[in-house]
Amino acid sequence: MDQLRGKELKQAFSAATGCLEEFRDAVNALNVFPVPDGDTGTNMLLTMRAAVQSAAEDCPDGQDPSATSVSSALAQGAFFGARGNSGVILSQFFKGFSDALSGKESLNAQDLAVAFRLASAGAYKSVGNPVEGTMLTVIRMASEAVQGSDQDVLSLWETAYHAAREALERTPEQLPVLAEAGVVDAGGLGFVILIGGALRSISGPDSSLIDLSELSRLQGAVNHGANIFKPGFLDATLEQEWGYCTEFIISGIDGRNLDLDQVRSHYQETALSTVVVGDERNVRVHIHVEDTAPALSYAESLGAVSEVKIENMDSQNKRFASGGHGAQVKGPALALLPVAQGEGLAHLFRDSGCAGVIEGGQTMNPSVQQILDAARDTGASDIIVLPNNSNIMLAAEQAAAAEPSIHVVPTKSVPQGVAALLAFNPEGPWQDNVAAMTAVLSEVASVEVTAAVRDVELNGVRVTDGQFIGLLDGELVLVEENPETALRSTLELAILSSDAIVSIYYGAGKTASDAQPVAAELEGAFPGIQVDLIEGGQPHHQYLASVE
Amino acid sequence: MTVRIVTDSSADLPADLVRQHGITVLPCYVVVDDQTFKDGVEINADDFYRRLQADGRTPTTAQPTVADFQEVYRDLAGQGDQVLSIHVSGKLSGTLNSAEQAKASLDGAEIELIDSQLASIPLGLAVLDAAVTASEGGSLQEVAEKVRQGLGLHHGLFALDTLEYLYKGGRIGKARAFMGSVLHVKPILRLQDGEAHPVERPRNRERAMRRLVELASELAPVRRLAVIYSTDADRMATLKQDLTGLLPADQIIEARFGSTLGTYIGPDALGVAITQEPR
Repeated sequence: MDQLRGKELKQAFSAATGCLEEFRDAVNALNVFPVPDGDTGTNMLLTMRAAVQSAAEDCPDGQDPSATSVSSALAQGAFFGARGNSGVILSQFFKGFSDALSGKESLNAQDLAVAFRLASAGAYKSVGNPVEGTMLTVIRMASEAVQGSDQDVLSLWETAYHAAREALERTPEQLPVLAEAGVVDAGGLGFVILIGGALRSISGPDSSLIDLSELSRLQGAVNHGANIFKPGFLDATLEQEWGYCTEFIISGIDGRNLDLDQVRSHYQETALSTVVVGDERNVRVHIHVEDTAPALSYAESLGAVSEVKIENMDSQNKRFASGGHGAQVKGPALALLPVAQGEGLAHLFRDSGCAGVIEGGQTMNPSVQQILDAARDTGASDIIVLPNNSNIMLAAEQAAAAEPSIHVVPTKSVPQGVAALLAFNPEGPWQDNVAAMTAVLSEVASVEVTAAVRDVELNGVRVTDGQFIGLLDGELVLVEENPETALRSTLELAILSSDAIVSIYYGAGKTASDAQPVAAELEGAFPGIQVDLIEGGQPHHQYLASVE
Repeated sequence: MTVRIVTDSSADLPADLVRQHGITVLPCYVVVDDQTFKDGVEINADDFYRRLQADGRTPTTAQPTVADFQEVYRDLAGQGDQVLSIHVSGKLSGTLNSAEQAKASLDGAEIELIDSQLASIPLGLAVLDAAVTASEGGSLQEVAEKVRQGLGLHHGLFALDTLEYLYKGGRIGKARAFMGSVLHVKPILRLQDGEAHPVERPRNRERAMRRLVELASELAPVRRLAVIYSTDADRMATLKQDLTGLLPADQIIEARFGSTLGTYIGPDALGVAITQEPR
């Protein structure tokens, strides 16, 4: 085959988009760099759809369009439809094609070599800090393989495909994060699928020779979704704070041209993971920033901003890792730092805006040093520690004496800690917060249910080893044979108002269904109250509960 | 020469008030499931909230384009009118920037732009005030000056069912440390200095509604009052009833969060907007 007509080129990328559609989930599942947010496949697919749709509109079926018109329509569509880092790089690939084919009726082998060369150069230039072992490397290796060859256009495309595939296999050697996760680069795989899909379309009758399903070899156990990663990988990655993935297009208005290099260098200095592409009329920006507002206002100072897409990468991370990994707030002015034991409680505190959680509780009291370390790790200027246990109060106070930025709200129980947490206003000064949080402690009644570990007589109550005791605000009030009865009876002593909110935190070994009957009975006995069941996961206490 | 008032759909102004006061509302854009709609024009609130709660992609919003503004400004200027264009806080949206660029591109057109530092129906109340001020006569500059001086009288309080949508939309900002989905808190936010600031986090809707009424009452005496909801009109009716101590029910404006605000505020949200009597 000597040359490709515009129609064939259009068909090829349309078919390639179909292939990408099939592999979308596989590519998503591989996505670990720069952020494991699992959307590379979707981003590339949406970008390709926009490219192909633009070609379909500009060069309708039944016509015989030139290679120029098809490639420029693809480039135009990809530019305006680009999603994510990978999509923007892809749009530069098409821009390279479009530049190389400018004025050409059809595409020969020599044109293809030039197209790949420009595509690769454009892709590299668009990225703030090109990283090897990514889609960029895969594009470059494909480009290098087709330079200075005397093959025909079909063989050359085949050469590009094989070179891209080999480059893809080597990405883990170049990018440690991939090796660590045990995957190849997601964007690279997407690119190989596109080139392979296009090749299959161009080859026509011989298309059976290109078997894309062999690519599944590179994916590992992709069908198992996100679980392909080596243990520990996501934990390591998720500790990093990534802020917001922000994308938009700046369009120059009324003859005011945009300076691409100036825009690029601005964002390279102020943001991470920068990809800036375009021309003097339209510039597409993809960045990762902690605060989106300054990035957008700079853009708005240059021209009209459109297609703004902002995604919080913490939540993407968390969604992708499917649970458990609480992202931490980095360097706030004021941080809240509770002590808690049990996954449920740790999650509750983090979810409610605490900068971290110090592991500890009834039988495992954190040291002063641990409190100091945890406080420092928050990066905050002031830290309010919630000891949440009377045995930990002293260590917290010593930490505060040693480090002036640490302040203590004297919470004696987890329920008190939660009450204090809800009175926290991150915008207020620490003094006001300590006062407000301390003030609410008396508004909450704390209930604890635990098993007695020895025979004892306390407050006139005789307790035998193995029985369940109920404590109200730290005082032993009753003893029962099973923990649910102890919980219900202790709560009955505490509930006073008809609009009380009762929160029951069920401990390790207990489930919501264990506590459900108690909740139902209380709601029956005290009309108007609200009973929330919350997973606490705390050891030692079958139940903790609060009444507000 | 008449001063005409222009705003954007993030003001959540009810259609009858828009008509009655001859206000021009530029629709913002909302992108749902890869489709782009003009807020309030091409997608209605019921349809939007149904899609928002369906298991799809998080919607995104976009400001009106420079071209949208140019068209409106050119039309009004062509009729020989002057334009007072009042918009959503520049800290929450780039809408004003589109407006500024459109203004810069139209030589000779008399246009004044105002950053309201507000959003949603509190912005709506500021716009109504502006329309009334304009109808009383005076030059464009005089009207603009009066409106600017009165901006501090408009307040907004919102009780959200969840911060999830604010978070997904990248606008969590200062409310970030106010999450709390495990405890099912119903956060209350206040518009202040052009941004949504966290105020309190009650544990259930009843307490949230009660606090909303208490916080609103602290702003008395009030000149204008509006209530707003996203999906639960009955709860808004209750809220309105609870606020009749501030103004008679027939003077309280009822509004609904459109798709632009709805993208961030989510279902089951309520709000109160107040214009205070000047002291």
